This record gives sequence, C-alpha cells and structure tokens, in this order.
Amino acid sequence: MKIVRSRESVVMSQKTGYRIRTLIVLALISMLYTVSPLLFADKASAELTLDINHSHIKIDFLYHGSEVSVKGTADRGTDLIIKITSPNGHESLRKKGKIAGILWMNVGQINFENVPGFYSIHSTKDIKKMLDPAEMDKYGIGYSALEKNSEITGISESDRKKWFAEFLKYKKGAKLYSTSVGMIEISEKEGILSYYTKVSWPYQAKPGEYKVTVYAVKDGKVIEQSEKTVLVEQVGIVKTLADMAKQSGALYGIISIVIALGAGFGVGIIFRKGGGSH
Amino acid sequence: MYFYLPVALTSINILIPIGLGLAVGLLSGLFGVGGGFLMTPLLIMLGIPATVAAATDSNQIVAASTSGTYAHWKVGNVDFKMGFYLLIGGFTGGLFGVQTIKILRAMGNADFVIKMTYVLMLGIVGTYMFIESLQSIRKKEAIKEEQKCESKTAKLLKSLPFQTHFEKSGVTHSAILPIIFGGIVGILAAIMGVGGGFLMVPVMIYLLRMPMHVVVGTSLFQILFTCIEVTFLQAYTNHTVDFILAVLLLVGSTVGAQIGAVFGRKLKGEQLKILLAVIVLAVTVKIIFELTLTPSLLLSQAGGQ
Repeated sequence: MKIVRSRESVVMSQKTGYRIRTLIVLALISMLYTVSPLLFADKASAELTLDINHSHIKIDFLYHGSEVSVKGTADRGTDLIIKITSPNGHESLRKKGKIAGILWMNVGQINFENVPGFYSIHSTKDIKKMLDPAEMDKYGIGYSALEKNSEITGISESDRKKWFAEFLKYKKGAKLYSTSVGMIEISEKEGILSYYTKVSWPYQAKPGEYKVTVYAVKDGKVIEQSEKTVLVEQVGIVKTLADMAKQSGALYGIISIVIALGAGFGVGIIFRKGGGSH
Repeated sequence: MYFYLPVALTSINILIPIGLGLAVGLLSGLFGVGGGFLMTPLLIMLGIPATVAAATDSNQIVAASTSGTYAHWKVGNVDFKMGFYLLIGGFTGGLFGVQTIKILRAMGNADFVIKMTYVLMLGIVGTYMFIESLQSIRKKEAIKEEQKCESKTAKLLKSLPFQTHFEKSGVTHSAILPIIFGGIVGILAAIMGVGGGFLMVPVMIYLLRMPMHVVVGTSLFQILFTCIEVTFLQAYTNHTVDFILAVLLLVGSTVGAQIGAVFGRKLKGEQLKILLAVIVLAVTVKIIFELTLTPSLLLSQAGGQ
C-alpha cells in the first residue's frame, strides 16, 4: 500500500508539471497520514505473541487433567482464535445400526482418516461470523473444516454428514473435541491487545505432542498466526507400567496374574483369621 | 482421590472401582459367577475403553475367584475333581469356539445370531431356574417327582464308561459327562464373549445334579483358571490389561467374595438359586432394552467383546 501510494503521487506530480513542490509536500503529508498508521499497525500485528505456562504436561500417578494458561499480545481490532490440536490421524469406530427394524446392534466399522484425535477451539467471537469459510477450511478451523478435510470409509457418500455428526458427538462426549466462545479475556493498552485464557486440559487427552496455535483475524481473513507445542508425556510408575504392558506383555501378564492370586489368597487368609468362628 | 490408569489412559476416582469390585465380588462369592456381565459395561460407562475393560475384568476375577474358592474350600464346598474335568472340557471347547466364531463372522450377520441366541438362552435358563426353585421352595415333593421322571436318562447316563464318583458333590457320573458339558459351555462362552458362569452354574445344578453350595465353590475354581488364561492372552496379544485398575477392583472384589461366601452359607440352596435366577432374568431384560432402545451414541471404540 505504501508503495502504490507514493507511485501515484509521483505520477500525478509529473503529469501536472507545476506546483510540484506543493504536491510533493501534500503527498508527503498524505503519506505520513495514511501510511504511518499502517506502518505502526504492521509493527503491532507483528507482535502477535503466544505464551503457554507449561508446555510439558507430565502424566504421573495422580494426574487428573491439567490447566494451561494461554496468553499473548495482538493487534487492536483483530479477533482471536486459539486452536489446540493433536496431529491428524486415523480412527476406526464401530457403528450401531438397526437390524430387522427394531434391534440396535453393531453393524460394522467406520474409518475416519485425517482427523485429529484432540481438537479444541477457543475464540473471541463466533468463528463463523468472524472468518470466511474458505479461510476456515484452509487453516482447519471449525468442525465443518474438519469434515471437509477428513476422509470417511465404510459408509455411503450420502451418509457422510450424518456419520460425521455422530463422530463429533462421540468425540465431544469423550471430552476430546470442544469449543468455546468469548472465554478469552481481552485488555487493551496503547493499541495493543493482551489476551489471556485458561484452558482446562482434560485427562482424556492422550499422551503425545499437541499444537497450540493462535490466529489473528481481520475482515474475515487470518492475518497472522503463531504456534507453540505442548508435550504430554507419561512419567514415573505410569510410564513404567504403560511401557511394560506394551513391550513385555508376557511378563506383565504373569505379574498381573501372580499379584491377583496373591491378593485373593491373602484376603482369604485374613478373613479366616478374622472370622475364625466359621 | 484420583488415580491415572496407564493402559486405559484415563483417570478415575479410586472409590468407584473399589466399590464396584465389592459389589461384583459379593455376587461371585454368593453365586459362583464372574460378574463380567455387570463389571464390563459399567467400566465402559466410566470411560474405560471396551477392550481394556474386558481384559482388566478378567484379571480382577482371578483375584476374586481365588478369594472365593479359598472361602468355599475352607468349608469343603469345592469339588476339585469335577472342576478339573469341567476345565478340560472348557479349555477344549474354548479353542473350538474361537474357530467357530471366525467361521460365523465370515458368514456375515453373525453378531445378530449370537446376540439372539444369548438372549434366548439366558431367558430360558433364568425362567427355568426361577420356576424350578420357586416350586421346590413351596413344596419339596416336586424335586422328588422330577428325579423319578429323569431316571430313564439317568440309566442311560449310568451305562456310559468311566463312571466316577464325585465325593464332594455326592454324585456318580461318567467322566465324559463333565468334559462334554464343560466343552459345550466353553464353546458358547467363547462365541458369545462371556465368562460362562451363567451357563456353567445351571449346567452343574440341573445336568450334573450337584448341590448348590458345591456348585458355587466349584464354579469359582473353574472360573479362576479360565480367567488366568484369558488375562495372560489379553496381556500378551492385545496389551489391554490395566494393572492399576485391576488392583483397585480386586481390593474390593476379594473382600466382596469373602462376604458373599459367608452370606451364601446362611442361605439355603433354593434361595440362592432363585436369587441367581432373578439376576439372570434381570440381565436378560437389560440386554433386551439395550437392543431395542435408541442408543445415545451410534459410534463406539472398535475392539472389545
């Protein structure tokens, strides 16, 4: 914009040929007036920042979910979207259907490809009102974007909408998909917005790497984005047991059985002593 | 207090599995059933993946049935010999059942047939047990008449080879009989994906004519071995046993089994039978509801059962 404006003024001054000085002065003034706020704004929007209070969530024995505060600064006049997501992957689910007209039973599998295991969107306003549909699809913001980017097999194409809605219901029920509007606190100081929100991190979210992205939106477009990762990892006994279950199943099985047998006998003996009269 | 379950990948209030274990253990000690019919769906409801729920339940049953077998053995109510023959049959039957289910699945619509057979069988067994035990509570003669009627088949069974006396149960049968019955239950249990206690207990009562109190102890003894096998296979091949969850459950269920065994001694065989019949019928009704009511979620995790 800056370049266009200065070119225009130069062309104008060449064409007219006289009162050049006046025009140059006017052009300069107008440039200052029109461009300087833009320059300032550019500088401010470059300051879209993102801070996460802990980027490493440790799942220990007493883990019951966590809270993550997400904060940063953004340009005045932008709307914000915070997206938390795990990498896209594949999910196989069993589907229920009616058999013989009255009985609900599992009637096969549906495969959802290219869907995130975890997906959470927090925005200052309703995302449908602030963002163009094309932008939503491009950045994977909103459930409709997820649906478009996904691939569903095991059903006919005409049932796609219905089963994706069921998929959302399933995911929301498991606390793995969620949205919130207006939960981001905004404060403004010298043309810069500060945002802050506390996201409750559900214990159902599996270990793995999560991406937290903040998008600054203006006039229906994403004008800037910033990204951080959060690592969710099992530690201590939880990690030892999970690894053992996966890597040495036989030993893990034997230990589980021996402890169960021991506990059964142990309690039996305690009761025999306690209730000796029987 | 909440504990995180490393295999189920979820967090749980420890009082819930302990309480659940206590209730299910009580049923085990009383009736000689594993209680998977109650435990597995409840665990799934608590957010435990179906595969983990089933596998961990079998681990927990190892503890509950050890505790229960011990309690019943102390008062001489476990027929180890009968249990051993039933196990031979059950183990072989299980292997057949796993193959059969593959064939059924390949034929398509197997789940429908299996589920319907299961509901019908539970319904018939429950109703029969209910009516029979109600009659015998009202008038003891009913049993005697029945025994007379069955004497022809009894004669036929007596002519089978390998006649063995089962001291604890006070019955004499051909050794082939418990092996065959154990085998049939094993096949059905494997096909239907259930522990088989519901089927084994009536088989022992009505076909092997064992006294109710010995049935409970012997059934627990047999379940113990079946569940050891299942736990190992699940841990080894599917990695779905959650150790922490199993420990929480068994804390309750081992104690529950003891209490159940004590309670059981105070009840008469007929009373136990009629209570079990009511439970079997309740489970039947529950499954019918599940099948006919529109589920809130049409999707569920793959695997399990």
